[in-house]
Amino acid sequence: MVTSMKKKNFFQYLLDGWKNKPLFSTGCALLVMIVLQTLALGFDYPSFGAWFTAWGRNWINILRNNAGVGIVALGMTFVIISGGIDLAVGSTMVTIGAVIMVMIDPGAHGWLQAIGITGVPAYVIGIAAGVVVGVLLGECTGLLVSKGKMPPFIATLGMMKICRSVTQQMTIQSNPTVPKGFLAITGTRIGGELILPIIYWLVIAVILYVVSKHTAFGRQVFAVGSNERTSRLSGVNVNKVKRRVYVLMSALVAITAVIQISRIGSMDYANAGSGYEMDAIAAVIIGGTSMSGGKGSVVGTVLGMLILAVMNNLLNLLGVPPFLREAFKGVIVIAAVMLQKKENNN
Amino acid sequence: MKLEMNGISKAFGQNAVLKSVSFHLNEGEICALLGENGAGKSTLMNILGGVIQADRGDILLGGVKHAFTTPAQSLSAGIAFIHQELNLINDLTVYENMFIGRELKKKNGFLDHKAMIRETQKVFDQIGMDIDPRAMVRELDASFKQIVEISRALMMKARFIIMDEPTTSLTDPEIQRVFEMLRTLKAQKVGIVFISHKLREVMEICDRYTVLRDGVMVAQGAVQDVTTADLARHMVGHEVVSGHREVSDNLGQEVLRLKNMSCAPYFDGVSLSVKAGEVLGITGLLGDGRSELFAAVFGSLEGASGSVYLDGKAVKIRSTLQAVKLGIGYVPRNRKENGIIKDMDILDNGSIVTWDMLGRKGLLNHKKQRADFEKQKQALRIKLDDVRNGITSLSGGNQQKVVLAKWLTRNPKLLILDNPTQGVDVGAKEEIYEIILRLAREGVALVVLSSEAQEVIRVCDRALVMYHGKVVDEVRGERMNEHEIMRLATGG
Repeated sequence: MVTSMKKKNFFQYLLDGWKNKPLFSTGCALLVMIVLQTLALGFDYPSFGAWFTAWGRNWINILRNNAGVGIVALGMTFVIISGGIDLAVGSTMVTIGAVIMVMIDPGAHGWLQAIGITGVPAYVIGIAAGVVVGVLLGECTGLLVSKGKMPPFIATLGMMKICRSVTQQMTIQSNPTVPKGFLAITGTRIGGELILPIIYWLVIAVILYVVSKHTAFGRQVFAVGSNERTSRLSGVNVNKVKRRVYVLMSALVAITAVIQISRIGSMDYANAGSGYEMDAIAAVIIGGTSMSGGKGSVVGTVLGMLILAVMNNLLNLLGVPPFLREAFKGVIVIAAVMLQKKENNN
Repeated sequence: MKLEMNGISKAFGQNAVLKSVSFHLNEGEICALLGENGAGKSTLMNILGGVIQADRGDILLGGVKHAFTTPAQSLSAGIAFIHQELNLINDLTVYENMFIGRELKKKNGFLDHKAMIRETQKVFDQIGMDIDPRAMVRELDASFKQIVEISRALMMKARFIIMDEPTTSLTDPEIQRVFEMLRTLKAQKVGIVFISHKLREVMEICDRYTVLRDGVMVAQGAVQDVTTADLARHMVGHEVVSGHREVSDNLGQEVLRLKNMSCAPYFDGVSLSVKAGEVLGITGLLGDGRSELFAAVFGSLEGASGSVYLDGKAVKIRSTLQAVKLGIGYVPRNRKENGIIKDMDILDNGSIVTWDMLGRKGLLNHKKQRADFEKQKQALRIKLDDVRNGITSLSGGNQQKVVLAKWLTRNPKLLILDNPTQGVDVGAKEEIYEIILRLAREGVALVVLSSEAQEVIRVCDRALVMYHGKVVDEVRGERMNEHEIMRLATGG
């Protein structure tokens, strides 16, 4: 009798959580994924220690591989909450990456090398230049969307085409290399593990969480996304908020570009970052952010990104062919939105 | 053929909207249907148009009893209802709109465009209107759109046409064009019901009038026997509420002065001034331009000419943010669209205008945010459980108080309130009036925009009446009564 009561209460709790907490179902889904993934990894190890090491290493791989897109997804959260969308992230990353590469190239064609700047100062200047280019590209998109009153989908579709195409043409002759020192940005081992990209992702997530909840800008992004008219009539500079959202997005893309260059030691201008926009949007949507703006959270996006990442890992462990994995992504996005719809109706 | 409605009664729940109203219309006659908002005009016409059904009473067409349960039945009996919001699709051509839902088809199933254009042209010829059937509706001005809609009714053999405030959104030349068409229809023995608040137009175009007040038919007769003042008196009734307040005598310095403000097509050459501690009312009919005038003052409507002086200094307000920083508060009309942010909680809604001042090393000071709001919550007696609940969990009156609270946290010196009691129940209405009067005592300059004469009389020291974008007169003291305001607002 007592146990059945307890059981009922527990289910009641689950049911209430389902109905009330927006991230409850997302968290549950992630938990289920993690359990499945752990089972798929198996327990066929000589000792618990060996199993734990394998399990941990698997996790570090998952997180490190997704840190770059994860950071883009954080920016995408702000863009989508503000009522917009950014399709250009993959292409702007290539443009920013090309600028950084040409700056830090230790070969004869490296810009900084040519004026005698090498080593750490060159890296700092190179990264700064990348961020500046990112901010400028973000300003362009922001101006088109705010002052130009252009639908974000169109404005960023245009930016996407322009950035990658121009970058490819401009870099047709050059073949820059990345200096060894630059690889240390992500390649330095902390506690014997390659976890720096994960730390960058985490730190940025925490900062952006605070920005979204505890700064005027963060709250204004929600306000503008939910009701632009009321926001303007309350003295919010709607155009400025929109512009800043795209600037933030592009600055984060610049950070991702640095991480990618440092990890891979090169950048393939034709293919790098393609599909980032869709993966980032998928993570944001799975994390419960509304496509129509005004609702969403940074924490949700991190959970959404993890769900995608863990699922990918799970499919890998199960030996699902790579071509088929994208289909699972599609299914999970559709399922997530269907669940959210149900929650909103309650 | 004669249209008669006899002893029509209708109640919504406990609320009797029509009490045994009789109404008749002859062919080839234009009859004005007059009354204040809520007098029962729309209900009566909705019954005739088949939108709703009467509880009691008969509708007779040429002596034959009819009962309409749908607009389609009413239409097939020859009665067309042209609503204020026109029922046309902007992105289709005129002839496609004329035949929407009843398209003419050829034997092979494709549309017979030629036949539709021919039929449309026939109707336009009949009423002497020069409209190209192939034009896009979007490109027509408002009067021609109305004419297209009336033509559609004629094409469906309508013998009686109900027009609900057809001239509200039209300019003077457009109104003349519609009137010309009405005269043509009249000559062709069509009967027309003309619902309007504009008494001058009623005098010009109508043959007879019927006045409803509180669901009762209070007067009818020939228009040539009455003046606009008579009609206004019938609409308001005899017992006038004269509960206007003691006019405050300790007014401060002038806070706002407008000189010759114009912005076509909304308002034209408006000048006014408000002092600290004063409540200035601006009233008139829908579309008189008062909302647009103060949207321009607040920096949310571009393109106005004229000068704005704040505390005696000339200012050019280009953005709402600038207006806020200058100490202007603005409670817009249509709370749902313009006043609240539905996805945010009560506290965020009640503090959005002070976010830029709540900084503490870039972070919002949530303690101060909460404290500021709590203070206003007490002062305005907002009823709520938790400030972190969604704004939509509150009643309309409490939502409106939250909108007020957000401005009061910034201590504005000038507060503009547009329809402040829209969608608010009677009790909360009275509370909002008290808040307005308290703010005036505390030295805030207030501008109340309202189409309800009683509201203006209740809270304002004096009021300007607008008509077609111009201030026609100022009323204060004894002259600030419903008769006078109604007369001025209707252009009489």
